[in-house]
Amino acid sequence: MLTDLFGPLSMHRFGHDRGDTDGGSGDHDHNDTGGTDVLARYRERASEVHERVVHDHGVSCIEFLGSTGSGKTTLLERLVERRPADERVGAIVGDVAGDDDARRLEACGVDVVNVNTGKECHLDASLVADAVDELDLETLDRLYIENVGNMVCPADFPLGAEARVLVVSTTEGDDVVRKHPLLFQSCDAAVVNKTDIADAVGADTDRMRTDITEVAPDMEVFETNARDGSGTDRLTEYLAASGRGHAHTD
Amino acid sequence: MHELSIAQSLVDQAVDTASDHGADRIDRLELAVGEATHLNPDQLVFCLENVVAGTPAADADVVVDPVPPEGTCTCGWSGEPDTLPELPIAAPDLRCPECGERIELTAGTECRLVRISVPEAVEA
Ligand SMILES: Nc1nc2c(ncn2[C@@H]2O[C@H](COP(=O)(O)OP(=O)(O)OP(=O)(O)O)[C@@H](O)[C@H]2O)c(=O)[nH]1
Ligand SMILES: [Mg+2]
Ligand SMILES: [Zn+2]
Repeated sequence: MLTDLFGPLSMHRFGHDRGDTDGGSGDHDHNDTGGTDVLARYRERASEVHERVVHDHGVSCIEFLGSTGSGKTTLLERLVERRPADERVGAIVGDVAGDDDARRLEACGVDVVNVNTGKECHLDASLVADAVDELDLETLDRLYIENVGNMVCPADFPLGAEARVLVVSTTEGDDVVRKHPLLFQSCDAAVVNKTDIADAVGADTDRMRTDITEVAPDMEVFETNARDGSGTDRLTEYLAASGRGHAHTD
Repeated sequence: MHELSIAQSLVDQAVDTASDHGADRIDRLELAVGEATHLNPDQLVFCLENVVAGTPAADADVVVDPVPPEGTCTCGWSGEPDTLPELPIAAPDLRCPECGERIELTAGTECRLVRISVPEAVEA
């Protein structure tokens, strides 16, 4: 004999079908809201990060994510090198272990907080909120977040950035978009990096573009070579336009 | 593998709710999991079965109800979007079938405990 708690469920009981009022055995009168959406709670935390960083402190916040080795850190190095002289940049760098990426960005003059995610394979908004505590937002104009290299989980975990930029590279094969549609759908812009070796690895970047448009309508696509910086100017312009009150809709 | 932390939150919720109702055992957990998420129902069940150890839900049956995506468009359309053809994994077509603009998903991205079952007559 069972009684159901939660939900439209107070109606559904297993094992027998007495009415709710009979027998006086009590407890059939349960709340009908159902449980909290666990994923929505992560999205709410992302909104809080957004509110604090972007709205309260006027810091432009951009997340880079994508596969391991696609060139996220290299691209950030190029963007930071090319920033306006007076732009003050901070970064939150997620890595399963180690601080190599953090050191690389520090070497470019960025104020970095390194987050080791340990057994979690991605950043979430709570980890980002803790990392933000370690930064002096008053002194920053822009905050970059580099997520852990992962093409799956981050789709369910926005971090509160004004723009999520998905970095994939030609070496992953030109079917990378089709294999990861939900991740593309969760992002605002895509970078197809390592264009310099597209021919060598037989990747058709036009096909990647077409796939992106099919899976994620209206997504901006940038083709870059993060080694020498070619193609990053358009990305810089896009990010400038995404900054502070442009890209987000709330 | 974020299924583990999600499973933990779900079990915490279930155990709290049961104890609010004076139940010392949970026999069944029923979840709603959106199809447009990366939560893998099998992995989630596996993680739940580990997380429940030592809790009142230790022997609970776990049931996952998949929730198909639904969306709305600024043009007024709402409904279940098509699934994109010929992809190795299912994903909704985010183009509005009426006007072609990008739709907003209103369902299919959730992960919720919808129901727990506990023994009858738990409150004296
Ligand atoms: N040929 C070529 N190599 C590149 C390009 N961008 C990055 N690389 C190389 O690719 C390797 C990985 O680059 P990273 O920037 O460390 O990649 P990442 O995405 O930050 O990697 P993780 O943080 O480990 O996920 C390095 O050896 C880079 O030099 C590119 O545009 N062309
Ligand atoms: Mg990196
Ligand atoms: Zn429409």
